[in-house]
Amino acid sequence: MMVVVLAEILGGLGLLFFGLKTMSGHLQNATGRRVRALLRAATRSPLVGLVCGMVAGAATQSSNAVALICGNLVRGGVFTTRDAIPVVAGGNVGTAALVFVAAFDFRLVVFYLLALVGFGFHFKLDRRPAWKEWIWVALGLTLALLGLDFIKQGPRDLDVALIARALDDGLSPWIGFAIGMAAAALCQSSSTPTILVLALMQAKLLGFEDAFFIVLGANLGSGLATLISSGELEGTGRQLCYVHILVKAIGCAVLLAAWIAVTLAGGDPEAALAASGGADSARAAVSMLFLVLQLAGAVPVSLGRRLTERIARYFSPPSVEDDASRPRYIHRRAAEEAATALDLSERESARLIKLLPNLLPDLDRGGADYSRQDRTAFWKGSTAIALAVDHFLVDVIRAGATRESLDIALQQQARLETIRALVDTLHDFSGVVAEFRRVPPLAFNLSESLRTIVLSLADATDGGAADDFDLLIALTADRSEMLDRIRRALAASAPGAEEDSRRLMHATSLFERAVWLVRRVAVALRPPAIEDRAPEGDPARQETPEGVA
Amino acid sequence: MTSMHIDREQWGGDVLLKVVGRLDTPNAKPFEASLMEVVAQTAGGIIVNLSGVDYVSSSGLRALLVAGKAMRTGKRKLALTSLQPQIREVFDISGFSSLFEIT
Repeated sequence: MMVVVLAEILGGLGLLFFGLKTMSGHLQNATGRRVRALLRAATRSPLVGLVCGMVAGAATQSSNAVALICGNLVRGGVFTTRDAIPVVAGGNVGTAALVFVAAFDFRLVVFYLLALVGFGFHFKLDRRPAWKEWIWVALGLTLALLGLDFIKQGPRDLDVALIARALDDGLSPWIGFAIGMAAAALCQSSSTPTILVLALMQAKLLGFEDAFFIVLGANLGSGLATLISSGELEGTGRQLCYVHILVKAIGCAVLLAAWIAVTLAGGDPEAALAASGGADSARAAVSMLFLVLQLAGAVPVSLGRRLTERIARYFSPPSVEDDASRPRYIHRRAAEEAATALDLSERESARLIKLLPNLLPDLDRGGADYSRQDRTAFWKGSTAIALAVDHFLVDVIRAGATRESLDIALQQQARLETIRALVDTLHDFSGVVAEFRRVPPLAFNLSESLRTIVLSLADATDGGAADDFDLLIALTADRSEMLDRIRRALAASAPGAEEDSRRLMHATSLFERAVWLVRRVAVALRPPAIEDRAPEGDPARQETPEGVA
Repeated sequence: MTSMHIDREQWGGDVLLKVVGRLDTPNAKPFEASLMEVVAQTAGGIIVNLSGVDYVSSSGLRALLVAGKAMRTGKRKLALTSLQPQIREVFDISGFSSLFEIT
């Protein structure tokens, strides 16, 4: 008998986990773009941010996903960390939606959902882009609810009263709290253990007091689990994890204080909790408890976001990547006035060019200027700035620019695309050079030459003088013949040095591509007056990257 | 820091600078200052003999570029001579061979 019950419960748990994961993943695919658009509007006020976060949390059923999207938006310059705080807090509240769904008697719903999913797959709706993700969301929800039903039905053949008594005698608040924390850490979620508690309460295996402390433990545990799973995150990304923990910890503290206050006042908190659920006490009470727990943390964290930000910054100061990825000139509201906006995006792109030398090692100083990790952080930062400028230009175009402004915006977009390609190429080149244990003379020459060219581009962009761009265009003239000669020599290199030769070949290709991209940027930035004076037949504007990898 | 010497000679209307040492980060600034001094003090061309240079980094290249730019603006000639093979390779790769007259 015990084996059958255990199989039903474990099978139910498996279905629940798989269903929730499937549903959450496909919900994020289905709603991700709209959620991003929604979150962009969240900067108006803390209340708007909180509500946007709630909707995003309900739509993705993952407060981690909301925090992750916010982290990317902060790095992309759409948000500040302070803007993101109410959104992350609201994301937690939104996840309560699933707990409420699970609180209903859903067996009938499961059958209809199963029918919907089955017909959907039979009629190949899963192959239609508009339906695909939603069919999988429905399948995930069906499996999760089916799993819950297994868990609820599993213990029906056991002596529930006996187990309940045993649990009741042995489950102290601390043990309940610890179980909740462990379950949340295992599931990486606070709503999943709460739904399990719901099922066990319906099976009369848990009382209100047990449920209260398990749900509290699960709440705090999911916050800590987020921090543990964010091991590699630094700076802003990690700051939002601390915001997440603050929401959870404050919620727990408020409800625990209320529980103790009622007890000290001579009341019965367990009865009060049961009464909050009305006639259908167990299901409604636990759902309400979960919602109040999230709200009790989210509201103070959102209202006191200045203090929250200070606490988060204390625990996780901004990283090199955060500093490198923060746009300096563009900001969301500036997109509404095209002329100013395009001036700002021009400055931001110029700043991006001036940051390019940071992507390359200074081999003359043994690469002691920045570490490889720092250079990777600069690369990520530059990529984020480029993305932010691109989004900004799209916003300018959407805001209804004049024909002249539209032309400028499109030119800037094209140039930005070249800068982005250059950023990636320099990062790849730097990675190849870093692979050498001892940098060979050819790699040194390539690296220092490229550094000189990129520094010259940064100088020319800073000064803006046409002569500087002319000099740079001359400096980046085609050298494919010489590089081909070097590659042929490498191909004929001595046996035993194949690995180094392969790396050097790759380095020459990346070098050639980078030089060509620098030339394109220089040509695009050269002031028009000089362009008019450019010698006839100057191939700089028409050339194609022949032979460039 | 490895020391660097620059000997200066008058060569007709031009100035000949003979550089011995490494054109690396520590030496780049004094090298650039010496070059710019000659650019400012004379009206003719400048010939830089690099036979005594066995190492050039991006800082050294930049110093030459600054001087080259100033000479280009004044439509004057900056020539480089007697480059060792490994130094010639840096100049070819960096594109400096197309900017300067190299003999």
